[in-house]
Amino acid sequence: MRVSEMQKVLIINERGSEGLTYALAEGESLSLVLFVLPEAPNAVIDLPVQVVMDLYGQFELHALALAGGQQKVNIRVDVAHPCPDARSNQLIRCVAGGESRIAFEGLIKVQPGAIRTEAFQTSNNLLLSEQAKVRTCPQLEIYADDVKCSHGATTGSLDEDEQFYMRSRGITLEQARLLQLRSFVWPVLAQIEQEELRASCDEQVSRALAEMFPGL
Amino acid sequence: MTPEERSWAGIFLSFQYPIDIPGVSISNFLKTALSCRRKAQGLPELTPSEFLALRKEKMALVQMKPEFLKRDVNVGFSGGEKKRGEIFQMAMLDPDLSILDETDSGLDVDALRIVADGVNRLHTPQKASIVITHYQRLLDYIVPDFVHILKDGRIIKTAGRELVAEIEEKGYEGF
Repeated sequence: MRVSEMQKVLIINERGSEGLTYALAEGESLSLVLFVLPEAPNAVIDLPVQVVMDLYGQFELHALALAGGQQKVNIRVDVAHPCPDARSNQLIRCVAGGESRIAFEGLIKVQPGAIRTEAFQTSNNLLLSEQAKVRTCPQLEIYADDVKCSHGATTGSLDEDEQFYMRSRGITLEQARLLQLRSFVWPVLAQIEQEELRASCDEQVSRALAEMFPGL
Repeated sequence: MTPEERSWAGIFLSFQYPIDIPGVSISNFLKTALSCRRKAQGLPELTPSEFLALRKEKMALVQMKPEFLKRDVNVGFSGGEKKRGEIFQMAMLDPDLSILDETDSGLDVDALRIVADGVNRLHTPQKASIVITHYQRLLDYIVPDFVHILKDGRIIKTAGRELVAEIEEKGYEGF
């Protein structure tokens, strides 16, 4: 069995081409870290991601999308499990401010015979304004027995109890919100193994947050 | 006044149920808190070495292990760790008036002693602490100068520490 491990880190700032497609080889392990940080004030980004697993394959996706103003982001992730004993895990976090729209559609398809598949998907969304909208649609289609699969989604705004706690310790509301945002985006950044790359992505994410949500 | 303004003015409020903040380390949390306050007071930011020195001093004061600082604020803390974390924050912020709201709830005797010890060490004649409790237990460790009974938002009786024994004996019924 060939085993290779790889991490890919991608930052997407504008409307791309046909999307991302990965067909994993047998025993291959891929960790994909994705940042969708639209630049133009009215940018529309459609990002389809297609992954096909093979025997003993491992796939990790950690994605962060930020949108503000009039921006629109659509992310669609399809993970197909045609073979047994593969494992996939996805965490997708989205922050929507201004009048932006973010849509996430995720489909995990466990095909007949793909026994002992493990496939997980979590979609967490944060709304920073009354006008922003997030639509999330995680889906599971399972046609095999003896699998472990889960999916879940949460959508909410910044927690005011947390803010009160921080403010009671002297942290301004603005700084409290920044800490909360940092706490929300960190699980995606933390996945990046290479330290310099992580620092540079961190910088871009922080800048995007500051630009997109001035004064929050 | 906003909650942060009260904090800058030297008031510290400990929470009965401290909030957990995943992804924010205690160290980063306190650095941000001190930096906000210094900015509000027109003082320059603490240098990293000044912050580290202060942190070390206060950790020793409340007998806290350095690993603690890397943990996220209150995430996965036991009841005792949360309260000890509150006392550590109090030590770092060095308030003139501390309000400890039912700090003893959910604590076993050992944790209670550690928390009370921290409070006692931080106390100086220039500082005041208001300890809110339903039980005598905590007051065996933190000996009060004054005891007030609060009922329906008003102080209905004020006396010295002997009032604690009286309440313990007769209950609150007679007040």
